[in-house]
Amino acid sequence: MRQVAAGEIGGLETIYDRYHTMAYALALRITAETGLAEDVVQDSFLGLWRNAGRYAEAKGSVRGWLLAIVRHRAIDAMRRQRAGIVLGEDADETLPASLTLPDIWPEVAGRLDAEQVRVALTVLPPAQREVIELAYFDGLTQREIADQTHAPLGTVKSRMRLGLVALREQLVAGDYATDRAAVPSSNGKKGVA
Amino acid sequence: MAMTCDRVREYAPGYVLGALDTDDMIAVNDHLAACTKPHPEIDDLGGVLPYLGESLEPVEPPAWLRQSVLAAARADLVSRRRAARVSEVPAEPVAAVAAPVAAVAVRPTALSVVAGQGWQPETDVIPLARARFSRQHRIVTWTTRVAAAVAVVVLAGYALVLQGDLSKIRTSHDHETQVLNVLTQTGTMKAVMTAMDGSKAGGIAALRPTGNIQVLLHGLSATQGDQVYIVWLSRDNGVPAKVGSFTVDDSGEGYLAVDNVPTSASLWIFVCREPNANVTKPTGPMIVSGTVSL
Repeated sequence: MRQVAAGEIGGLETIYDRYHTMAYALALRITAETGLAEDVVQDSFLGLWRNAGRYAEAKGSVRGWLLAIVRHRAIDAMRRQRAGIVLGEDADETLPASLTLPDIWPEVAGRLDAEQVRVALTVLPPAQREVIELAYFDGLTQREIADQTHAPLGTVKSRMRLGLVALREQLVAGDYATDRAAVPSSNGKKGVA
Repeated sequence: MAMTCDRVREYAPGYVLGALDTDDMIAVNDHLAACTKPHPEIDDLGGVLPYLGESLEPVEPPAWLRQSVLAAARADLVSRRRAARVSEVPAEPVAAVAAPVAAVAVRPTALSVVAGQGWQPETDVIPLARARFSRQHRIVTWTTRVAAAVAVVVLAGYALVLQGDLSKIRTSHDHETQVLNVLTQTGTMKAVMTAMDGSKAGGIAALRPTGNIQVLLHGLSATQGDQVYIVWLSRDNGVPAKVGSFTVDDSGEGYLAVDNVPTSASLWIFVCREPNANVTKPTGPMIVSGTVSL
């Protein structure tokens, strides 16, 4: 990212080569349209290129920041498309801030591969996974999720919290057992997801 | 309702997922920006998000997307550098021109006082030393006046040249902005054009579904006399259709914008240097080419 911030194309090439399939997969999952997904990916890498100076290395991974940009742009593109606005017209230049990640996440990042993450997701109860996916991939608010799933708003909030906490614990602990009765938490205590 | 630390903790899952209502998102943002207490729950839960994206099976995008991203970044880099130069250029020449001109404007006034003394009619007997001093002053005065006049002319010419350069830079920046705007629009087909003659020429073409095409090239040799660069489009390797022509000055940049170009899949675009704009088929050397795709 230092190279990118310094305006070196080589740095962008490296980041593109490393993360383009991940970025495209996410854009495609959200937009469900190849043309729009391609626009989103190009737009996201350009956003990363133009705003690299704002990226704080100490605060999180490049991958995390890039995926946050892709998600932000893709959801924005979908909303614009629904509103009949073409991507690129008055494009929202706001980029998601880089998270200040606790020390635990770099450790997790070094240990997990995508398959393990998928497994961690699959062991979530379906109702919890559903609210998280509707929020993350479809950009719905808790209220919209409640409408769509015909669940009370409080239930949606509760599922979202439990799902995120459980997923976090799954990722941190690396325990992908299907027994959800006792999930080891990051502080060593047992909890129920 | 005022946002408190406890409430932020309660809202944290919805906040990190961007799933709160707008008012609540703003309230949490404002609280986090102002609160001096730590809110580890935000980063703790937020750290999960990248993994949600990573949980998807990787999908390989079209190969041209890499070229397109890098070409757009290069164009952005050039644009930024030129914009920086444009913002700097007016300050330098104005200062450079203004300072000597001011000096020139001041000096004759000061000198004219001295010259006035030298030109005063001398009715009395003038001591030899004084006469020599007076003559030397006249020589210095006239020499300085001539030098000042020459400096004014030279600086005026320099200012004109700088104005011309500035105008070119602004024009170039405008072209890049136009092409970049088109490139980011949905449905625009792009072609990254690379050199076919071993030169450093290259650039990008953007073809909108409306039939408007914009071609921006750098690193071209300047055209001489009637010489022009002609852009050709070939469909399915068929007979090339002439899109338009442009000349290039010593900046090496070429730009062409044409409407009503027929669009279709499998387009190949290339640019040849031709002896004049009247040629009806490519005859000159092919300088750059690229495949047009979505």
